[in-house]
Amino acid sequence: MIVDRLLSHRLVFLSGKGGVGKSTVGAALAVTASRRGKRVLLVEVEAPIEAARILGKAPVGERETEVRPNLFTVNLSPQAVMDEYVRLTVKVDLLARKILQSPVYHRFFAAAPGLPELMVLGKIMSLEEAKDGWSRRPRYDLIVVDAPATGHGLAFLKVPFAASQAIPVGPIGTNARRMIALLRDTRRTALGIVAIPEEMAVVEAIEFHRMMTQDVGMKPAAVFLNACHEARFTSAQETEVLRLAKAGRGGRLARGVPLGEALAAARRHIRRRKLTRFYEARLRKAIPAPTVPLPYLFREALDADSLETLARRLEAS
Amino acid sequence: MSGPPPSEVLEAAVTDRRILVVGGSGGVGKTTTAAALALRAALSGRRVLVCTIDPSRRLATSLGLAKLPGKPRELDLGRLRTRRTGSLWAMMLDTKRTFDSLVERYAGDEDARRRILQNTFYRQVSAALAGSHEYMAMEKLLDLSQDDRFDLVVLDTPPTRHALDFLEAPERMLGFLDTSVLRWFLKPYFVAGRLTLKIATRTGAMVFKLADRYLGLQFLQDLSEFFLAFEGMYDGFKERAGRVHALLRDPSSGFVLVSSPARPALEEALFFFRRLGEKEMPFVSFVVNRVHSEPAASRGAFGPAPDLDPDFVARLVEVHRDYHALARIERRHVARLEVDSGRTAILVPEFEADVHDLRGLRAVGDAIFNGEPRRPGPAEETHAVRTGPVRKDAVRTTT
Repeated sequence: MIVDRLLSHRLVFLSGKGGVGKSTVGAALAVTASRRGKRVLLVEVEAPIEAARILGKAPVGERETEVRPNLFTVNLSPQAVMDEYVRLTVKVDLLARKILQSPVYHRFFAAAPGLPELMVLGKIMSLEEAKDGWSRRPRYDLIVVDAPATGHGLAFLKVPFAASQAIPVGPIGTNARRMIALLRDTRRTALGIVAIPEEMAVVEAIEFHRMMTQDVGMKPAAVFLNACHEARFTSAQETEVLRLAKAGRGGRLARGVPLGEALAAARRHIRRRKLTRFYEARLRKAIPAPTVPLPYLFREALDADSLETLARRLEAS
Repeated sequence: MSGPPPSEVLEAAVTDRRILVVGGSGGVGKTTTAAALALRAALSGRRVLVCTIDPSRRLATSLGLAKLPGKPRELDLGRLRTRRTGSLWAMMLDTKRTFDSLVERYAGDEDARRRILQNTFYRQVSAALAGSHEYMAMEKLLDLSQDDRFDLVVLDTPPTRHALDFLEAPERMLGFLDTSVLRWFLKPYFVAGRLTLKIATRTGAMVFKLADRYLGLQFLQDLSEFFLAFEGMYDGFKERAGRVHALLRDPSSGFVLVSSPARPALEEALFFFRRLGEKEMPFVSFVVNRVHSEPAASRGAFGPAPDLDPDFVARLVEVHRDYHALARIERRHVARLEVDSGRTAILVPEFEADVHDLRGLRAVGDAIFNGEPRRPGPAEETHAVRTGPVRKDAVRTTT
């Protein structure tokens, strides 16, 4: 249900603190949508390995690449997007090349506040509007954006607001206003917040939610709580774990499974589980959007199996 | 991987160095590690300042404050204090304020100072310019390194997407502020005050025309005022950035790279490590937080277990299997970092409880320095029944 609603948009931004698994959630969402027959584009920003790695493909570059049926990924680098923009704007090849080689251009681009974000958002907007073929059918039914991590300087999604104030006139101002309209269009665009059950990630998610609703006017459509430790024991069994651990009984449960070790692992799990519940409650209380818990996966790296597990969870949510 | 154990290297650094920069990607426990190192040094008798950029309340709470102040404030170490204890100070970096004071320091006169501080562009960018957090953190570091109230300054670096941004920030900032480059295309216009330009090159004219068309007049005006005002300050900035660079390369400074046992964070730590090598900046050690240790047995692994419900046993076995797998995976990731860097990492176990007071922080320090015994490598780490005595579980807080 929650995911149905989320996937009914044309543009889904996923945001959250670094390391919470935005790429993972993004890939799982994209897989889910592509299975429903949508043409999906998964956009990453300067993350050369993640989505491609998760989807089991070699790194994907600047070009939109079909990595699974109906599922495309692209990895945007602000610099390359900006270069492309200059080439499109200047049109004269030689001149464009000269500009691209000029030190002023590079220095300005490297540090100009918000410019990289603005360029990337502009590119995403143009991808959303892209139409192909005779029938002028939208190139993509859904675009999932793994937005750059929150909490650094000017937040990604706030950039158009700053830009429209700083540069009210000219094409940049116009484009910034169009971006704002797109971001605020709740029919086309949805925001998903990704967190994990840990203090910093939850604090940042709540802070991000406050900023987005107050400053940007975007309400999140869903909160994904990734890496949740889910209940494995009944409460009676949990009590039993603690009792047995205290009693310090020895012995073996199975080949290679000493009771003491299993109890230590179980206690660790129970503690993690409690923290998960605590943070889930805190998120639900602070953010009035449906929360989708996703399980912690005991895997070396995200592989096809894990992705499958997550996609199934999303389907069921 | 030879030489003294990494925890001894780190202990020596905490005892001798004057600056410790704690780096790493976001969400790996950098702030907590920085605070724990600072507390450790203070408890050993030094006067220490920990400077963080983390606005999270939790660290403030763990340091016994409601909120971290913008200027160094001494903390009450309370019951942790002994006769040899030094002092611990904490502060939170305020990027904007640091930038302002830098402007105040280098502005030629009152008028120049006011022009900048009131410039629209400056007000918008001083906190948002790419790299300004990092740059200001370093700027503050230079300031603090000259403050004789402190023997050691521990700097918790900003949570960048790429930890490396931190090292590159001054170059980027200076590149941006380099008015000698920007002047030639902005100044003629605003000095003339109109759009007829005599710009030296065709490319320059084109860049300018584009800028005018796409950025608009007001913005360009703000921008040029900004750069014109900065003109006199650039040399000061540059000189200072040079000193920061020298400070970071000084043998009395050191970098502690923090990571989690997850692959992306470890790769980031490795990149950072390599860049430090290229820049000839002194590396101290890797600290890998939240490592799952193997579940430790409280008793020998022989003999039958008590009679338990089969369903319960099945679940216990499953949990055991998963946590074992996790410990093995993490060990492999860390091993890769160690092989690629040629350094042994300090592993800190996942804590039983969140760190929420100074005692918790001290326990983190204990875990870092007392060093968990190295566990067997992946090859030995099988499910086979152990023959040796069972090691005690890794140090952990039970507060």
